[in-house]
Amino acid sequence: MPENTKNSKDIKNTKDTAGKGKQQAQSQPLSESGGQQTRPGGRAAAALTVDFAASEHCLVVIFLRGGADTLNMLVPSFDDDYHRFRPTIAIGKSLPLPASAPGALAYGLHPQLAPLLPLYESGELSFVQAVGTDNLSGSHFEAQDQMEHGSTFKGGHVEPVSGGYLGRLLALSSGPLGPLSAVSMGTNVAESLRGAPSIAALSGIDEVVLEAPTAETAAVSATLAKLYGACSNKELAGAATSTLQMLERIKALGLRQQQENLRKLKGANWQYPDSELGQGLRDLCGLIKARVGLKVACIDSDGWDTHFVQGNEEGLQAGFIRDLGNSLRAFQDDLGPLRKQVTTVVLTEFGRRVYQNSSLGTDHGRGFAAIICGGAIKGGRVVGVYPGLKEDPSLTLAPTGLSVLIDYRDLLFDVMKQTFSIDERLAAVVFPGIRYKQILSLPG
Amino acid sequence: MSDSKTVREEISRRRMLYVLACFYGASLTGCELVRSSISQNLGHRIPDSIKSSGIVGSGREVDLDFHTLSRISFGPFPGDLDRLKAMGASYLEEQLHPDSIDDKAADVRVRRFESLEFDMHNMHEFKKEVLRSDMARFTMLKAIYSRRQLLECLVEFWSDHFNISIDKGDCIYLKPADQNNVIRKHALGNFRDLVLGSARSPAMLIYLDGKDNHVSKAGDRPNENYARELLELHTMGVYGGYTQQDVYEVARALSGFKLHDRYRRGEVYFDRSCHDDGPKKILGHVIAGGGGEGDLEQVIDILMKHPSTAHYVAYKLSRYFVSDNPDPQLVKELADTFKETKGEIKPMLRQALASDQFKSSLSRATKFKRPFRFMVSSIRALAGDTNAGAPLVRYLERMGQPVFQYPTPDGYPMESQPWMGTLLWRWNFAMALCANKIESLSVDLPRLGEALNADYSPPKFQNKIFPYLVGRLPDEGERQAFSESKLKEQELLAMILCSPAFQMH
Repeated sequence: MPENTKNSKDIKNTKDTAGKGKQQAQSQPLSESGGQQTRPGGRAAAALTVDFAASEHCLVVIFLRGGADTLNMLVPSFDDDYHRFRPTIAIGKSLPLPASAPGALAYGLHPQLAPLLPLYESGELSFVQAVGTDNLSGSHFEAQDQMEHGSTFKGGHVEPVSGGYLGRLLALSSGPLGPLSAVSMGTNVAESLRGAPSIAALSGIDEVVLEAPTAETAAVSATLAKLYGACSNKELAGAATSTLQMLERIKALGLRQQQENLRKLKGANWQYPDSELGQGLRDLCGLIKARVGLKVACIDSDGWDTHFVQGNEEGLQAGFIRDLGNSLRAFQDDLGPLRKQVTTVVLTEFGRRVYQNSSLGTDHGRGFAAIICGGAIKGGRVVGVYPGLKEDPSLTLAPTGLSVLIDYRDLLFDVMKQTFSIDERLAAVVFPGIRYKQILSLPG
Repeated sequence: MSDSKTVREEISRRRMLYVLACFYGASLTGCELVRSSISQNLGHRIPDSIKSSGIVGSGREVDLDFHTLSRISFGPFPGDLDRLKAMGASYLEEQLHPDSIDDKAADVRVRRFESLEFDMHNMHEFKKEVLRSDMARFTMLKAIYSRRQLLECLVEFWSDHFNISIDKGDCIYLKPADQNNVIRKHALGNFRDLVLGSARSPAMLIYLDGKDNHVSKAGDRPNENYARELLELHTMGVYGGYTQQDVYEVARALSGFKLHDRYRRGEVYFDRSCHDDGPKKILGHVIAGGGGEGDLEQVIDILMKHPSTAHYVAYKLSRYFVSDNPDPQLVKELADTFKETKGEIKPMLRQALASDQFKSSLSRATKFKRPFRFMVSSIRALAGDTNAGAPLVRYLERMGQPVFQYPTPDGYPMESQPWMGTLLWRWNFAMALCANKIESLSVDLPRLGEALNADYSPPKFQNKIFPYLVGRLPDEGERQAFSESKLKEQELLAMILCSPAFQMH
């Protein structure tokens, strides 16, 4: 289709003009990913596995649904274009981030992210600039789908792959994984976990209980196990097995009491916001402290689709940013010494346009800044080159915005590699079609 | 009308509402009982005898009529299968003409929700929590008790297709009007009316920022939110062949709609000074400059004629009614009908339900029930008596499908995977339901047993009760699981509702 060729040309043009020096190498994989390169890697990697039992490390993925305007979170205060494109909604009073190296760009932080500043200063938190997918659809749902499945955009469509990237990662386990190895906070199961050996969807630990008003729960579990065990629908049978195992595990742990005890023990040194994100992270922290064998967890924050009056230092988006900052900070404080073992990544499906629209919001864009916190990953820096902001006539085939210089898959695989000490050759299994390039080793 | 008169009217309405609210608060319990008994006398009860067994031939496959009922309704109510078998093809025709079906019994059940009968200007008199609960209860009660079941299915379908979350802005005050004047009104009508109605619906104008899409001076950038979702989700589908430029041009064409925010609060008007009145080029068609408010209908006409719209609507309807993997040929046939009839919905439904793929045994019981359907079908199967009170609404919230609260415009997912984490809550619901432990909901299992001429003895349980609920005989694994179970009577019945078979439709 002629449109598609045009589209892929567009990507290259964007990057060629945006890429400066080293960045050009970085921008290659987006347009060239896939192809024959993956096959040999995939074959060699087939025999490789991941020894999840070897460490207590785990990965938490926070997804900001709706396309977060990260230009107002990691603020390019130094760029006059930023203030010119956003006369009303620019963040004028950002908190200066200490420079990580001589000559580094002087980014600012949204004032509502103040709770994260000490983490940045102590080298536990970093930003990765201009991350994104090659998705040109401008659709939330397509871009989220692509990211969670870990695929690419080819021929005008999201390339179908089986399962989610975290599901494929866990499926590589050399040993059996427990029922709480993959947790999806909330009612809906995160797509990225699809294909994992076991998935637990929890809204709160205290709600995980089988309520049989008249019968013995053991008899109920036994009957359910037989009914689902004989079921030919594998998806359904697997979900039931996961659920029954999760029930057993949580019951055996006496987790509810443990959480209560931990809370009493530590007092109120940290304050989780009373939001889905805050309370979800609180429950996750309880699971991590109880050492239930958690390896990956997914949790969402909703509402980032700020087309209309998004505000600046205060206002609509500031509220979401405050929740994110406070939740993440409380999580880190609560984890205490364990935070060296827990890597948290904050992602969104795309960033937003560089300019404000007539209703003082921003429409769908492209690249965004990811946040990485905790674990063994070196922080206190902004990784990646700033691509600059360009005038956007809008009359193009796909939405524009901050250029995408870093393939989200490279970043995610880097994070997994550093968290779980994974062999590099597994990149092509976790992200089929990838030509993996290190991101986090780049100078900030 | 003078302003002072409007103010007086407002005040008197306010007072009347207050009185009404007090009256309702005080007399709720008495009213509920009366309603439920009137409704039962009007026919919401278990017939004396249920003849059809739900077994055909060897009983291995789901009975075709049972299959039909589980797709054109939220699951059979006691007696529905007998009725369908007696009526044959005229059953579907009756469902396609809901006005011909007497629905007094359901009407009585939902008449308690005063708030939903007020016009939208006065909705702000109600507390948000009252409206939230009233809408959820109304929707559940209609799905459980309405005899116009196909209509209720389409109401669910279009409510997802044109999803509006009542958690955004003033949507909660305006969604009842959207539901009545757009979704319910045109659910079985013409797709153009649905799209146009939705485009002008105050709730949609808030939800997708249409009311703030203003272009009043050079350099103003339109708000693209609604334009993109109109193309992506409502008409053409994400790969329907539009570009970013088309999105931008549609956003320009639809600029200038606003909502009154004081008197006539919520009503839509067009402000030409905020409309981009220049010429636009959309999907190759030119809309001449100076079209003003008329640009909207021109845009809708362009979209209605685009083959992607016909295909997308045909695909979604086939997916909802026929199979998660609809046959491309079937989708093409429905799309052709869409084109020929300019978007008539009924002919597409007739075609889908008469198709080989629909009737095929491979399509039966292959769709995973979403939580709403799971709960409603359980209550219908057992002829539960309920006012859909707070405990029921909480179950629905807990399973992640609270009414009109899906945050993003794509609507609750049709796929099964996102709902796989809800099994525990389904099991807990089914056990509480059968044990009569849900406040505001009761079931009469002995009476159902009598009507079925069945008890909990293994042969009757497996050959009568199971097929009544699932539409076929238990297979070997199921028989074994039931016969080895330590559970008895209604606990065992609950296991059917918990079983994989009852999660599917």
